[in-house]
Amino acid sequence: MKNKALYTLLIILVQSLHTTALNAQRSTPTEQINPYRIVERCTLHGISLLNNLDTYLSGYNYTGAGYYFNHENLRNAHTGNYNWKYLTTFSATLGYTKQQSNSQFTLLASRYWSGYHPFRVSNRLQLWTGAQIQLAGGALYVPANGNNMVSVKMRTALAATGIAIYRLPVRQHTIDLRYRIDIPLAGIMFSPEFGQSYYEIFGLGNTHGVIKFAHPLNSPSWQHTLSADIPIGNNTLRIAYTANLYQSKVNSLRTHIYNHSFAIGFAKTIYKIKRKDSMKAYSPLL
Amino acid sequence: MKRLIQYIVATLLSACSMSCIEEDNFENSPIGNFDALWNIIDQRYCFFSYSEKEFGLDWNNIYHKYRPLIEKSNTGLEQFDIMGNMLRELRDGHVNLTSEYGTTFYWDWKLNHPINFSDSIQRNYLGANFRVNSGIQYTILPDSNAYAYVGSFASNFGNGNISAMMMSISKCRGLILDIRENGGGMLTSAEELASHFTKEKIHTGYIQHKTGTGHNDLSTPEAIHLEPSDGSIWLRPVVVLTNRGVYSSANYFVMLMRELPHVLILGDRTGGGSGLPLNSTLPNGWGVRFSACPILDRQGKITEFGIDPDTIVHITSEDWNRGHDTMIDAAGMLINRFYEQLENENKE
Repeated sequence: MKNKALYTLLIILVQSLHTTALNAQRSTPTEQINPYRIVERCTLHGISLLNNLDTYLSGYNYTGAGYYFNHENLRNAHTGNYNWKYLTTFSATLGYTKQQSNSQFTLLASRYWSGYHPFRVSNRLQLWTGAQIQLAGGALYVPANGNNMVSVKMRTALAATGIAIYRLPVRQHTIDLRYRIDIPLAGIMFSPEFGQSYYEIFGLGNTHGVIKFAHPLNSPSWQHTLSADIPIGNNTLRIAYTANLYQSKVNSLRTHIYNHSFAIGFAKTIYKIKRKDSMKAYSPLL
Repeated sequence: MKRLIQYIVATLLSACSMSCIEEDNFENSPIGNFDALWNIIDQRYCFFSYSEKEFGLDWNNIYHKYRPLIEKSNTGLEQFDIMGNMLRELRDGHVNLTSEYGTTFYWDWKLNHPINFSDSIQRNYLGANFRVNSGIQYTILPDSNAYAYVGSFASNFGNGNISAMMMSISKCRGLILDIRENGGGMLTSAEELASHFTKEKIHTGYIQHKTGTGHNDLSTPEAIHLEPSDGSIWLRPVVVLTNRGVYSSANYFVMLMRELPHVLILGDRTGGGSGLPLNSTLPNGWGVRFSACPILDRQGKITEFGIDPDTIVHITSEDWNRGHDTMIDAAGMLINRFYEQLENENKE
């Protein structure tokens, strides 16, 4: 018993010494701060309010709610003398909707890669404009339907995107208010033909006409995101509202997926260091 | 660059000027639900041109015939019956209306014809020692022919299971494949079973689908092929037994099998049902199923109203009374006659 207590004490002592040593090493940075290695990372969780129409499945709107997840990385980037911002986002929604007594399950996921050129309008306001590559997919699933129980959603698009950031002073703190809009301009999307079964597309391989050119006239879609970054101690709380309004009218089939999400999470600013530097800083063997 | 900006501005303005994409909804009322049902069928049903030729169906007349009845109806059950009766005018077993009151069916493809099947008589052939593999009941008959009953295509058989069944009857001279009263299931199950009866890829038919809301908006027929299975292949004589209860994917199975040189279809005409059905809903949540994709045979003919057998045989009342199945007996005789002819040819 006595030996066990001594052993525990020794472990605590060694661990505390080791931690002190690491902190000492951390306090001696191996290089100057590089702004291109600062990454703002944010993960949000929330709820989605869904309104789905897909005439391949039913001519009527299904409404309901679901779980919403969003993860984004924002960093500075430069090409030659040209400075810009690089934003990647991943979002997913898992939802359950109803039309009268009929049920529908929704699974949606999207990945956006965006590049922005920032314009400083004033000390408080910045406007960013840029381009975006969108990749989105998912499915609407109606268990009661027989041969058309699923409607698969797949699309990729080149989009115009813009961000407005306003730094709002509140007492001695500042709250960053951010509004982002993404508008797909041209791309390709998957859609079965009007009365075509998935058996014919995937079972028999008759894929003629299922890949369509998508543009704002046949697929007028956009996404708005409004968020507020609120500092709380050393952390930054982000509250966000996203309206992802997807629509299409191709192959005589009409679709809309109106996804209004309310999400909350913490934003972190991290500094990415090179692997060799991290080895020098943290490995006790070097 | 200037052109690009002009394009972006033009497309954004166009997008903004477009209203939200919505469907032309009907209201949730007796008239609204009736109109919604009539419109779904009008726009999405695939056999109008065929039905007009076959029995003079006029869908616009049907609307004027039934709408006054809906206007006079008082209860949901009455409306359900009226709408069900309207759908029966299509004479299609794949068209159903489903609600809390039940499901409407069109059964005339089966009920107005001789049944030509008795599971009590079938027991006299299966005996007590038959095997069941993936829902297929099979045995070896006294004349050394195998008998297998496939009552449904509702689930996958499994390549290994069918191969194992074929191994266990591998010493039989021929196979009597009974699919009477098989109301269908999955097309892929029918293809899976049929793939064990061919050693080469063969062209068996075509499939189409609706491309728009017009009655004649149908796609160009795309070929359907039957590919051989990776498992056991049965190339000895096969007699497929059919009756009017053979419907939907079972009808499709007959369409595949009749293209094979060592297969003979025996019995009564099949029930049909060659349209692959899709589903939709009404404003009140009732479900509707309808044929949306016609499947054609290798000659490009629609088999919606059934496929004629190579040899017509009915169960006679004498056989029925003494517990004999005329079709199974005839199938056995045909296989035996085939081997007798083969022996005679070899002697010559």
